[in-house]
Amino acid sequence: MSQPLNTTGVHHHAHHFDSADHEFQASKQGMWIFMVTEVLMIGAIFVGYLIMRARYPEAFHEAHKLLNVKLGALNTAVLILSSYTMVRGVSAAQRGNNKLTIRMLMTTIALALVFCVVKYFEYSHKIHEGTLPGGNYTYAELSMPHVPLFFSFYFIMTGIHAFHVLVGIGLMTWMIKRVKSGEITPEFFTPVELVGFYWHFVDLVWIYLFPLLYLLG
Amino acid sequence: MSHSNTATLSNEIHGDNYLNHSKGLKSWLTTLDHKRIGLMYLATVLFFFLLGGIFALIMRLNLMSYGHPVVDANTYNKLMTFHGAIMVFLVIIPAIPGAIGNFVLPMMCGAKDVAFPRLNLASYYIYLFGALFATAALIGGGVDTGWTFYTPYSIRTSGPVILVLLGAFIAGFASILTGLNFIVTLHKLRAPGQSWSRLPLLCWALYATSIIQVLATPVLAITLVLLMMERVFKIGIFDPALGGDPILFQHFFWFYSHPAVYIMILPAMGVFSEIIPVFSRKPIFGYRAIALASFGIALVAFIVWGHHLFVSGQSELANFIFSLLTMFVAVPTGVKVFSWVGTMYKGSIRFNAPMLYAFGFIELFTIGGLTGVFLATLAIDVHMTDTYFVIAHFHYVMVGGSIMGLVGGMHYWFPKVTGRMYNETIAKWSFGFIIFGFNLTFFPQFIAGSQGMPRRYWSQLPEFDLWNRLSTVGSWFLAVGFVMVAYDMIRSARKGPIAGPNPWEALTLEWQTPSPPPHENFIETPVVTSWPYEYKPSRG
Amino acid sequence: MADQKNTNHPQTGHEPDVNANQGDHGHYILPDSVALKTLLALAGLTIITVGLSYVHLGPWNFVVGMIVATIKAALVAGIFMNLKHDDRANAVIFGSGFLFLGIFFCLTAPDALFRGDVYVNGRPLTLPVKGVAKFKKAWEPTPEIVAHGKALFAQNCVTCHGEAGLGNGPAAAALNPKPRNFTADVGWKNGRHPAGVFKTLKEGIAGGGMASFATLPAEDRWSLAHYVISIGPNVVKDTNADLAAVGIADPTKEETGSDETPSIPVNRAMEFIANEEAASGTGSANVKAGVGQSDLSGYDRRLEAHTFAPSL
Repeated sequence: MSQPLNTTGVHHHAHHFDSADHEFQASKQGMWIFMVTEVLMIGAIFVGYLIMRARYPEAFHEAHKLLNVKLGALNTAVLILSSYTMVRGVSAAQRGNNKLTIRMLMTTIALALVFCVVKYFEYSHKIHEGTLPGGNYTYAELSMPHVPLFFSFYFIMTGIHAFHVLVGIGLMTWMIKRVKSGEITPEFFTPVELVGFYWHFVDLVWIYLFPLLYLLG
Repeated sequence: MSHSNTATLSNEIHGDNYLNHSKGLKSWLTTLDHKRIGLMYLATVLFFFLLGGIFALIMRLNLMSYGHPVVDANTYNKLMTFHGAIMVFLVIIPAIPGAIGNFVLPMMCGAKDVAFPRLNLASYYIYLFGALFATAALIGGGVDTGWTFYTPYSIRTSGPVILVLLGAFIAGFASILTGLNFIVTLHKLRAPGQSWSRLPLLCWALYATSIIQVLATPVLAITLVLLMMERVFKIGIFDPALGGDPILFQHFFWFYSHPAVYIMILPAMGVFSEIIPVFSRKPIFGYRAIALASFGIALVAFIVWGHHLFVSGQSELANFIFSLLTMFVAVPTGVKVFSWVGTMYKGSIRFNAPMLYAFGFIELFTIGGLTGVFLATLAIDVHMTDTYFVIAHFHYVMVGGSIMGLVGGMHYWFPKVTGRMYNETIAKWSFGFIIFGFNLTFFPQFIAGSQGMPRRYWSQLPEFDLWNRLSTVGSWFLAVGFVMVAYDMIRSARKGPIAGPNPWEALTLEWQTPSPPPHENFIETPVVTSWPYEYKPSRG
Repeated sequence: MADQKNTNHPQTGHEPDVNANQGDHGHYILPDSVALKTLLALAGLTIITVGLSYVHLGPWNFVVGMIVATIKAALVAGIFMNLKHDDRANAVIFGSGFLFLGIFFCLTAPDALFRGDVYVNGRPLTLPVKGVAKFKKAWEPTPEIVAHGKALFAQNCVTCHGEAGLGNGPAAAALNPKPRNFTADVGWKNGRHPAGVFKTLKEGIAGGGMASFATLPAEDRWSLAHYVISIGPNVVKDTNADLAAVGIADPTKEETGSDETPSIPVNRAMEFIANEEAASGTGSANVKAGVGQSDLSGYDRRLEAHTFAPSL
């Protein structure tokens, strides 16, 4: 292989690319396209939510009061902070400071776990109260029509988001393994950067979810 | 186009090609070569085409004569559902992008492979996995919702609905990955000199298709997830009994499924944009217009879905908006049709099978497209909705468009794929059977539909017997035509005469390499110096 | 496989994108200070959003909340995800996602938020029309109501029945059975008297080309009925029994607008389904939908009438 070898020689770009940078740019574009599909997939539920909210504003307003704004705000802060640690981790990888990358990735995972724990408490409280989606709604103190619909959206939107958080934890764990293997260098850091993108996207979704569900109802 | 390696190509099967580069079943199942993945897609798509086709033949037989059903009504509903679901999700959507696109697109740009070969292989297996779920549902008793899964019926009906939904959900990701791969390939892997303005029109068409796949398919995915949750968790978003809105489901469904119709037709338009100039020996007329029209269609695709909801109880306001917007579809498609006809005008036309399919395509697609304008007209649609007029329109566009594109493309690239030539006589006869059988099958449905024969019914009234009989007999001709194509291709792949690298004297890059192409497509990375449609009549 | 071309033919690198000026390993690395400032900005904006939700601005709460969220999203995408220094094509790609999401919302809303307005002649038909009827006792033929019927006839009927009502309009050629000839006294499915025509207009004729005109208000249907009778060989009057058959129990009383809603808006239909299911307790899954099954369309009824033994 005659392509410019990186210093460690661990990573070779695939045969159909001219250079490692060429491959990196292509991978990054692929990641952006993937994120577009995520925008449309999650966004479609937002559209459904906005339509139903516009149609039954009172019910959705009453229902949103049952959410815990403090826990929601706490989770927002946690996710924003985790986005910051992720950014530091990626730039450390780009500079070749793998130790810092691993530390930052671990912090990010820790913050993601905090998010999950808070979410767990919120969910178990809802299940206990009976503020559940659609036909499972049993909360006696608020029995307006269309209130259960709010909780359908709440559980689906936050549920899909939580699923993405769990996937993110898995990806970051994988990245720690790859950084430790010495594969990640200032010449080749594509996987770390792309996982970073993914994690910021998870944050970005929550940035919309939080006001829509918890604050504005 | 000058290619340093064209002169060195011999008229023999190239020694080391993608077919014999590595051997054994495992080398196929784990291949990252876009050409092999394309062939695997093709084989699977054709298998499901056979299955969906058999279902259609049974349904036609059932409707052939009043009072003589072949299957009972429940079975009919299941056949109808699976014919639709299989043909849409497992055949037409992956057919041209997955099979022909995978094979040809990287070569057309002068690349060694698609941008992400592993994702490409994953896409195939995801597709296969989705197909398995659908097949499981078929074996597990069948589903009677119709391929559109309308709520609230799809929430209440019994049967393995969730399996079919999962199948379509999973197959959707295969479609997304193909689209993603093509977009990045076109952006990043074009050969030196292969500027956007020299890109073959099939690439443009597949680019537009990929955009739709990437933007629309995720909405289908989430719609199907929501429907599964309706069934499992009673979330009630689409269930009126729980305060939801069943028509919202239709919006979600058609936001994907209308653009999906253009996922099906755009690649076929691309295929014929390649075939027509080659066999007319003339530069393509309106290159830029055809390329831009692909994007015009892709954009319009996203703003017209409401015309499927004209009689669903959609608001009058939305009906009006969507009826108006739908009319705009006719503009870019009209631009394309006129450009093709303009290309043929005063050309030195060669009547080989691919060109015959191009003629057939233009005829059928024009009829299908124009009846689409009828249906876009609100007042007429209210009358025609749920009649066989809609069925005929849809099949003229989908079979007459997409399947013609697939079969025409299979003939056109057959020498490239196998290195051998198909039998022109059988190909022409099979085309005759297909075009005759197709028109005999579906034209009577326009007439019966305009007289009010409803779709999706197990039995029809005696007054429609004439049309139903003609239609059923036509379906047999159609089937014979397809069987002849299959026979010809299977036979010629082994015994056909050696075709040489460029039997059609075409100028696009895939013909400037040996047939079958070597493992990495080109002996030497090509350098493009001109536009790929500089045909001169004298060359023929 | 030796990949020689890069060194031997430097000009054979792949065609670069017009906007792809990121080559030569010139990756932009986000300075830590910028990252920290962005974090602080995001934190500040979060506090603002929470704070604003306690200020009552009416609908502006929503607008402001979404604007703040979008600024935060732009910070994350532009700086954390480095879109600002990236290939512009990627920004276009990501932006197109939001654009098409916007299209999805903007074209679903005209239906989902404007449902239930069925207009005929500029009048919403969602509720029974009360007090606006021009004809108090529409079943009684008067010259005015016949004239009104004549105007309606020209709008709604001539394409099939012809201008003179002979059943020979331009569209009649394609119809079998042929449209009714109103000047002859034979073959009238619901009888040749105004109430019979009124019934036909409401229900259509199963098995024939005659469509239901139930979307027309009752008084318009009566007007048409009187006009159609007036062009026949003789003018037939309704008996009290005829009127009772179409729901006019007491012909001496004025029209109360109690004719049922001509077209059920979706929202009402959804309520009906919900109420029916609540009453019968079958709101759960895996129950065959009863929706629409009790009321067979004309075509279904005809099919049922044709009994035959399936040759299975």
